[in-house]
Amino acid sequence: MRTRHLCSIGLVWLAATTALLAAATQTIQVTPLTREGKVYVSFKLSDGFTDEVAEAIHSGLTLTFLYDVDLKRSASIWFDRTIASATVSATVKYDTLTRKYSVTRAYDGRIDSADTTDSEEIVRGWLTAFDRLPLFSSAGLEANAEYYLRVRARTSPRTAMLFFWPWVGHDVAGMARFTFIP
Amino acid sequence: MTTVRDFTPRPTLPPRRAAPAAAAPAERRPFRDNPRLILAGIVLLLVSLIAMITLADRSTQLNPDFLSEVVLYALSVADATMLLALAFVLARNVVKLVVERRRGLPFSRFRLKLVAALLGLTIVPSVLVLLVGSELIRKTTERWFSIPVSDVLTSSRAIAGAFYSEREEAVAGQAARIAAGLPSQALTAGDLDALKAAVSAPVTEGRVGMVEIYRLQQGPGAKPDVVAVFALQSPSLPPGHVKASADRLAARVAAGSSDTKAHEPLDSGDELVRAGAVAKDAKGAAVGVVIASDFLSGDLARHARRIAEAYEAYSQLRVLKRPLEGVYLSLFLMMTLLILVSATWLGLYLAKRITRPVHMLAAGAREIGAGHLDHRIEPETRDEFGSLVEAFNAMASELATSQRRLDRSKKDLERKNSELDERRRYIETILERIATGVVSIGPDGRVSTINAAALRLLDIDDAIVGAPADQVFAREALQPLAALVRSVNAGSMKPAGQEIALARDGREIHLAAAATALHGGGAHEGTVIVFDDVTPLVRTQRVAAWRDVARRLAHEIKNPLTPIQLCAERLRRHFTGAPPPVKDLVDECTSTIVGEVESLKALVDEFAQFARMPAPKAVPSNLNTVLNETLSLYNGLFSHIRLDKQFATGLPPVRLDIEQIRRVVINLVDNAIEALGGAQAASTNGEQPCITIETQHDSTNAVARIIVADNGPGVPKADREKLFMPYYSTKRRGSGLGLAIVRRIVAEHGGSIEVGDNVPQGSRFVMELPC
Repeated sequence: MRTRHLCSIGLVWLAATTALLAAATQTIQVTPLTREGKVYVSFKLSDGFTDEVAEAIHSGLTLTFLYDVDLKRSASIWFDRTIASATVSATVKYDTLTRKYSVTRAYDGRIDSADTTDSEEIVRGWLTAFDRLPLFSSAGLEANAEYYLRVRARTSPRTAMLFFWPWVGHDVAGMARFTFIP
Repeated sequence: MTTVRDFTPRPTLPPRRAAPAAAAPAERRPFRDNPRLILAGIVLLLVSLIAMITLADRSTQLNPDFLSEVVLYALSVADATMLLALAFVLARNVVKLVVERRRGLPFSRFRLKLVAALLGLTIVPSVLVLLVGSELIRKTTERWFSIPVSDVLTSSRAIAGAFYSEREEAVAGQAARIAAGLPSQALTAGDLDALKAAVSAPVTEGRVGMVEIYRLQQGPGAKPDVVAVFALQSPSLPPGHVKASADRLAARVAAGSSDTKAHEPLDSGDELVRAGAVAKDAKGAAVGVVIASDFLSGDLARHARRIAEAYEAYSQLRVLKRPLEGVYLSLFLMMTLLILVSATWLGLYLAKRITRPVHMLAAGAREIGAGHLDHRIEPETRDEFGSLVEAFNAMASELATSQRRLDRSKKDLERKNSELDERRRYIETILERIATGVVSIGPDGRVSTINAAALRLLDIDDAIVGAPADQVFAREALQPLAALVRSVNAGSMKPAGQEIALARDGREIHLAAAATALHGGGAHEGTVIVFDDVTPLVRTQRVAAWRDVARRLAHEIKNPLTPIQLCAERLRRHFTGAPPPVKDLVDECTSTIVGEVESLKALVDEFAQFARMPAPKAVPSNLNTVLNETLSLYNGLFSHIRLDKQFATGLPPVRLDIEQIRRVVINLVDNAIEALGGAQAASTNGEQPCITIETQHDSTNAVARIIVADNGPGVPKADREKLFMPYYSTKRRGSGLGLAIVRRIVAEHGGSIEVGDNVPQGSRFVMELPC
């Protein structure tokens, strides 16, 4: 009995560790661009469309990829200052009967686009790659100062947990520094 | 073994009264003593348990986002909080109990044991239940996803999907065929008849339910506008379909989207399957869009949807297995923690409920032991502990009453002791002050007390207190007193006065002594000797006797002296003519007789003066002035004798008869001059003859002293008492009345005069006069 308990706990631990390792291999490539008074943000989550995510989507579960984008400025002796923040989300719903994916993309709660496709590859792109999103205004930025963009990604709802602990790392983060030149 | 005593009826607790409005705010009752709060806590606990059960029951129906983002996190936070609370409560109380135990506080060991026992009773089964329950939950959730169910659901979903796909493909094929056969010129020109003719066949033949034709018309933008041309519908197609759905699909198809199929649920429960295709002209340019629609019957669509929903629910359950497990485990953990926290709290609560009254009793006993008899314990309960507390309070009240009685008795006793002390001090003061000597001898024959007068009269030291009386009175001079004590102790003498003469420093002291045996309850308790100095009285009696003698002697002697003197003078005159030898003889004899008669007359005059000494006329006088005036008479008379005057300053006025005191001083100084050799005085031992006249003031005894001292040969001790007796003189021609008159004058002034040795030599007369 005791051995079985230990095995169960070990399996849970192993699963959680695997999830952590999987999260560790995921990266976000962030590319900033300042032009015409805007800060354009392009980012791509690589290896974000894991088997678990695919299984969750194909189960018909409405899955949302949430990206928290922060425009920050480094501080030497204190916490970095957040200049602006935005939330980008991509929600997918798979119709198991018609085998179609419905993807809705929104910025700060405002729906930007809603598309339907039966291609998983396209859905993968819609969910993990965003190109030149005009998220921030560059009006308040200081010329020739260095800033950086940080993007953190996670899925909702969470589908993994470590024993009693739900805060297991599905969060992936990426950042890119840039010097603001008006 | 306990003894059953008479039990008085248990006093009832006083009825609870509302606190007066003006009183200070009541102290806040702790949680453990507030039944309402305890009840509220129990209700809250039950509500929490019910909420947890309800949540667990409905967990699978919850929105996955809500489940994983809210419920799971809330439960985890609640678990962590309870775990921390439990750890804090345990750590705090363990530390507290350990500290109390180290300090040796009462009942700390008992509380520690009680809490440990309750924790041990709950923590082991709780942890076991948690482990087993967790495993059970895990196994149960795993059983949800059995392979047969999964296969059935997957296959059903595949069949339904295939059917849908097939229908889509069929409709899409019809749309493509219609689009291919559509005359582009007619579409461009808007020739509806030609168009209807081209699409009527599939509709009428039932291959599709409806065909809608759109024409692409180049608008202002880059994208062409999609304009509906006409729709041909089979009569069998159920109503309720929405044209906008077809418009959106047409626009999507025209835009070149790969998604050319759509499903539109109808109000009747049926479902419309749409598919679009682009119609092109001969050059291959898109000129229009054909949307072909067919419907699926309601039952078929519903079953397919049900299959899909069941599959999705099953698949989502598998995807959300971990969060669901987490919810169940968290709920289970929460219940376990609730049990543990409740057990811990209950253990502490019970320990306090049990030990607190006993602790209060112990503290109250310590307070009572420390003398705080007004200390009371407030009964907090009406159970046996309450009775015990009330019995303790009653005991404390009785003790306080007894203590107050004792205090009153003690104060009375102290007051009486104080009065006795005062009376004793008063008697002691009187004994110390009186001139009567008092000596008390204990039953053991030792001297218990002796007053100052006795010490002075007997010339002994107060160190004799505690010494045997026989030893104290063993001195030859005190033998009469020893005999007196012995006779009293022997019972041969009743208390009575007896005059005893004691010899001290060559002087005779007359004491009127009385010895009394003390008897208390028949037992001999000692002896008290009381004696007074009656020497002055004796002396006065003697002087009075001598004065009487002197008066008679003067009278009897003086009367024949004049005839004797006249006869002698007659004889001398008669023999004036006698022969020379006879005449010479007669002259010589008669001269002798006349001379001696003159001497006798002078002596008789002196006797007469002694006998007729008048009473002194005392007036307040400055003694130093009187002495100065008196001593001035000696100025220039005896140059070889030094008169040394040492007068005290601040001497109070003394009531005295100046003339009599002058006579006293002259007598004493004359005696001193004579003792020093008179006009022929010479230095002795190399020292100049000196007479010191000194005055002193003794404020304690209220006397002024006149001291006349010389450095002559001094007075032998044996002669000192006789010196003041009449008719005793050490001088060849003295009458022996000088110092007797001096003593009488001093006595008439209420004083005394004594003679002693001068240091280093000579005599010293000390005269004391009251002032």
